[in-house]
Amino acid sequence: MGTSVQVSPLCGVYNENPLSYLVSIDGFNFLLDCGWNDLFDPSLLEPLSRVASTVDAVLLSHPDTLHLGALPYAMKQLGLSAPVYATEPVHRLGLLTMYDQYLSRKQVSDFDLFTLDDIDSAFQNVIRLTFSQNYHLSGKGEGIVIAPHVAGHMLGGSIWKITKDGEEVVYAVDYNHRKERHLNGTVLQSFVRPAVLITDAYNALYTNQTQSHHRDTEFLDTISKHLEVGEMLLPHWSQRSFSFPIYFLTYVSSSTIDYVKSFLEWMSDSISKSFETSRDNAFLLRHVTLLINKTDLDNAPPGPKVVLASMASLEAGFARDIFVEWANDPRNLVLFTETGQFGTLARMLQSAPPPKFVKVTMSKRVPLSGEELIAYEEEQNRLKREEALRASLVKEEETKVSHGPDDNSSEPMVIDTKTTHDVVGSHGPAYKDILIDGFVPPSSSVAPMFPFYDNTADWDEYGEVINPDDYVIKDEDMDRGAMHAGGDVDGRLDEATASLMLDTRPSKVISNELIVTVSCSLVKMDYEGRSDGRSIKSTIAHVSPLKLVLVHATAEATEHLKQHCLNSICPHVYGPKIEETIDVTSDLCAYKVQLSEKLMSNVIFKKLGDSEVAWVDSEVGKTESEKRCLQPMASAAAPHKPVLVGDLKMQDFKQFLASKGVQVEFAGGGALRCGEYVTLRKVGPTGQKGGASGPQQILIEGPLCEDYYKIRDYLYSQFYLL
Amino acid sequence: MASSSTSLKRREQPMSREGDQLIVTPLGAGNEVGRSCVYMSFRGKTILFDCGINPAYSGMAALPYFDEIDPSTIDVLLITHFHLDHAASLPYFLEKTTFKGRVFMTHATKAIYKLLLTDYVKVSKVSVEDMLFDEHDINKSMDKIEVIDFHQTVEVNGIKFWCYTAGHVLGAAMFMVDIAGVRILYTGDYSREEDRHLRAAELPQFSPDICIIESTSGVQLHQSRHIREKRFTDVIHSTVAQGGRVLIPAFALGRAQELLLILDEYWANHPDLHNIPIYYASPLAKKCMAVYQTYILSMNDRIRNQFANSNPFVFKHISALNSIDDFRDVGPSVVMASPGGLQSGFSRQLFDIWCSDKRNACIIPGYMVEGTLAKTIINEPKEVTLMNGLTAPLNMQVHYISFSAHADYAQTSTFLKELMPPNIILVHGEANEMMRLKQKLFTEFPDGNTRIMNPKNCESVEMYFNSEKMAKTIGRLAEKTPDVGDSVSGILVKKGFTYQIMAPDDLHVFSQLSTATVTQRITIPFSGAFGVIAHRLGKIFESVESSTDEETGLPALKVHERVTVKQESEKHISLQWSSDPISDMVSDSIVALVLNISREVPKIIAEEEVAVKSEEENGKKVEKVIYALLVSLFGDVKLGENGKLVISVDGNVAHLDKESGDVESEHEGLKERVRVAFHRIQSAVKPIPLSAE
Repeated sequence: MGTSVQVSPLCGVYNENPLSYLVSIDGFNFLLDCGWNDLFDPSLLEPLSRVASTVDAVLLSHPDTLHLGALPYAMKQLGLSAPVYATEPVHRLGLLTMYDQYLSRKQVSDFDLFTLDDIDSAFQNVIRLTFSQNYHLSGKGEGIVIAPHVAGHMLGGSIWKITKDGEEVVYAVDYNHRKERHLNGTVLQSFVRPAVLITDAYNALYTNQTQSHHRDTEFLDTISKHLEVGEMLLPHWSQRSFSFPIYFLTYVSSSTIDYVKSFLEWMSDSISKSFETSRDNAFLLRHVTLLINKTDLDNAPPGPKVVLASMASLEAGFARDIFVEWANDPRNLVLFTETGQFGTLARMLQSAPPPKFVKVTMSKRVPLSGEELIAYEEEQNRLKREEALRASLVKEEETKVSHGPDDNSSEPMVIDTKTTHDVVGSHGPAYKDILIDGFVPPSSSVAPMFPFYDNTADWDEYGEVINPDDYVIKDEDMDRGAMHAGGDVDGRLDEATASLMLDTRPSKVISNELIVTVSCSLVKMDYEGRSDGRSIKSTIAHVSPLKLVLVHATAEATEHLKQHCLNSICPHVYGPKIEETIDVTSDLCAYKVQLSEKLMSNVIFKKLGDSEVAWVDSEVGKTESEKRCLQPMASAAAPHKPVLVGDLKMQDFKQFLASKGVQVEFAGGGALRCGEYVTLRKVGPTGQKGGASGPQQILIEGPLCEDYYKIRDYLYSQFYLL
Repeated sequence: MASSSTSLKRREQPMSREGDQLIVTPLGAGNEVGRSCVYMSFRGKTILFDCGINPAYSGMAALPYFDEIDPSTIDVLLITHFHLDHAASLPYFLEKTTFKGRVFMTHATKAIYKLLLTDYVKVSKVSVEDMLFDEHDINKSMDKIEVIDFHQTVEVNGIKFWCYTAGHVLGAAMFMVDIAGVRILYTGDYSREEDRHLRAAELPQFSPDICIIESTSGVQLHQSRHIREKRFTDVIHSTVAQGGRVLIPAFALGRAQELLLILDEYWANHPDLHNIPIYYASPLAKKCMAVYQTYILSMNDRIRNQFANSNPFVFKHISALNSIDDFRDVGPSVVMASPGGLQSGFSRQLFDIWCSDKRNACIIPGYMVEGTLAKTIINEPKEVTLMNGLTAPLNMQVHYISFSAHADYAQTSTFLKELMPPNIILVHGEANEMMRLKQKLFTEFPDGNTRIMNPKNCESVEMYFNSEKMAKTIGRLAEKTPDVGDSVSGILVKKGFTYQIMAPDDLHVFSQLSTATVTQRITIPFSGAFGVIAHRLGKIFESVESSTDEETGLPALKVHERVTVKQESEKHISLQWSSDPISDMVSDSIVALVLNISREVPKIIAEEEVAVKSEEENGKKVEKVIYALLVSLFGDVKLGENGKLVISVDGNVAHLDKESGDVESEHEGLKERVRVAFHRIQSAVKPIPLSAE
């Protein structure tokens, strides 16, 4: 029997919540995506928290919050410890997305769900794969092969194929079949008849009519989608030589662009081709100014300008700030490039008709001053004293207690997390002394950049706890002079961002509610880069999975696609609810046999497209190694019902007949009139091409005449008779 | 070396074991260094690895022996890296031969390939007719080259392949090819040592059945990287300290970048050297810097970390020189110039100027091809010939410090021990070195399970692989797992090298193929009574059922449960049936019969007489036909004793019993063939059973 496959959604079914699904293949649990929304609502993650510890592998599909936002939180708080698999750009840009999210959030609230360290450590263990790389899992997942393939939605965005014993499970969400300016289209169509396809119905009801070159732009988000628009703006700008500057404003803008420049392998053929011929990197954005804080923008010369700012939901970050500032001038335009997440400000603005007023809570982080500062410092000092006291207590305790190795290793770690390992904010007393962890300070930075370790914190019975890595001289000669202050793979951040992160001045968040008059124009243009409803249907029909699981869409869209697929694609369509486990184990029967040389020498294959077919009559025997083996029949085989193999397309056949000099035309009702008398038509249920609708029924009729037999011969020539 | 199709030879395919024979033939790089090109063929699939030239020759002489093969039969061409001896005959092969397969290389290789070959075409000083290709050919070839990323699995015509990092140079790859479960690893040039910017070659996850491996370094052992880097910097430091000049002839790409990284770093750490200029004199290297600055992801972690601060390929102490005219030779300096072999060009010009001053030094940083000046001066001759034909004393110090990014003996043997391939084929090595390597490897693998071969150019290595063809029976056909002796009948679908057996009804479920039924309906003019047809049909066919059509109430007949004959109107009858050969035949005979009725009056024939007579006649006829067909198949067929037919083919004899179809023969193959042939002939000449279901 087949491999057992169970699917249970943890989030993101029958609505547009973030994506997160648990797929268990013969007991090996895959977590497909680990998303969160821009509101960071922990209640969404409840289902995940119940299963996080049983997850054996995490597969990430896209580098945005909806697909990987919860990873740091789940790793830190929910006990998720499985290895994570993603493509290089998903890893890299995902990391930057999370930095950007964190920094935007931190500016406006006391954000404490995760820290930059958590982000770093979550992304440290990502195993990076390239497209179409077949990665063989080992250990518990022995026999399972996973492979990311191009999804076409974002840079590095992948659809995942999980294979075990020839059984394929394909996870494809947010794919895009069209070629974008910088990305290739998805290869989903090349998968044929997988056992299970898990896909989204997100755009099932949406039909996109915009012509790509009619799209113009002003405003957008999500890091990698920026790129698309950035790319688009460029030739446009150079053509018209506008004098308006373009700004790209996120906390991680320049790192993003720098990384993207080196991701040329992952982009479309045309981009790499232009690099090969002219060595022009498409992301040397000559007309775009990269900004990492809003003051720079404010300092920019007044006048018309275009700003790309992050956070499409307008829930936090620069985009929200700018929106509030600009919304009441009718000359301004806010351009959305994708449908906002449900329940966010962006979604509200996109409703028709757009609201005249919106109520916005603006929060701001301000440094403490006056009495507050003093109070804070006192508090911190108190904490510091307590900390020191505790540390010394612990130390004493340790020396007293007969110390097994277990105690030693665990205890100092507990202290560790409390004192030194937080980069931002809660660092306690060390206002100016910053621990550098997780990013590289630029060479030009001065004193505060040097690592400082709080000596009071880490003591064990042998003295100060030493991190051996600090003393390892990395590959002596090689590193001499090359690296400034121990570079880290994890991140590369702009100078000002770094200082922003390191800014540990005591501060607080103040909020005030504003009513913003929305008098600027609001336009939505589709740069989402997802397939629309029609193409989704035709793609699914082409893939025609044996079983289909629909996720991530409104109830309406899910129902719609479900009905459509039930009617014309496959009989097994599921739309599981959250935490509902459905069993999509295929009821396929199969066994393996060896084909004996004797049998094969008598088989005459006929070539048909990619494959070759033949009829075999054989008898089961055993090989020396006791395997089942097919041998030629000892006696004459019983005759079988002949089979016509082939796929007749009326249009093609018409051309074929025309080339043979037969007069052909389409008559009404899909009938093909050949010559004067003979008609040819398809009868019976007209199923989808390659769908599960059974054999084609073709009817040829006419009076007894020579033409009839001639056309019948032509018709036969389109098929193989087995 | 003509490219005309007349000189293309088609390889003789042995008839019996065609599927199992694997042939590997080096067309270049067999017992030599340069013009790498290895041909491989297995189960009807052919692959060519690399397509290089021998840099020591020019024109046709530099090409691999392409006339040994038929380029049009090659399915896939895989290029490991951009060096001339691995990629430079590609434009020729793509544009000037009948090759029509697909070409793959990595992103970085493709980007540099174009720059490098364009430069090669410009620099090479051969006559127009000796030119293998021009810039136009290179540009055209770019469109045909497809890119493959490391580890990405690509399938072409059932050939699966993917590549691993090979070290050596930027973008260098080792290819693993999988044809029907047999794996072949072609290393190209590789290095297992991580250096300043490249990763070490990976160890493939799977052990290959055949490993085609380079043997450039033979049994040599490299010095450790630290020692040779120290030697290198020490020589340079002391030479410039004494006021001498240092010439480093190096190939523009690959090692040059590594050496520049070393120099830039050394200068950064030694402020006293800051007033001594370092130049690299290669416009090509300058152009390729953009590629090096982009494909950071193909490099090692060290470079990627440095990239976080500043691009390591933006040098602080090194400047580029466009030509010798820009170079002011006014004191100590370090110049890296191409070509590496000192054949001509900038490096040779400088060498000619500097070679007689003993303060100067020349550092040969890597492997040199036989026949080049660089190879000659390693042996420190007293005199050298200058480009203008004069001789001059060789006073400058010559240092050979190998930065070769080829695996040395230690790396090769550990690599092979990890992989344990049953077959090792050595290529890309000088004959003597290769022989020594082979001997030494024999001692490493003494158990005799490993074959080590070093074929010469055009010398084929043949191997046999027992390919078990496994099929998967799926769907309705597999509902019950059969026991020995049960029969299995269904459609066998072959895609690439995978086989599936399924019931015809499942065909559209498990494959992209679909089945069809063709219903035919013809009308025949017939104005007689329908009863006549019924009567006549009843005389000829065994089973004729009469019924009435439900809609019209007109009579209908069903012949052999296949063909329905209906009276449509006073003047027409219609025939309807579902197409298959037997039904077509039945319907044809009905048509003939109906036409006959309307043409002639029925005759009364003495049935039995005819029947007996015809049976005898038929018997004779059948025998004749069988005999004639057997003769046409096997040639020598005689009538033996007790009515058996004696068939002899190539000295093997088979006895065929015409009655039972039994065959006796010593030779299994012949026996099987005769049996099948006889069975088919019989089914062709005997009456067709109509009850086929």
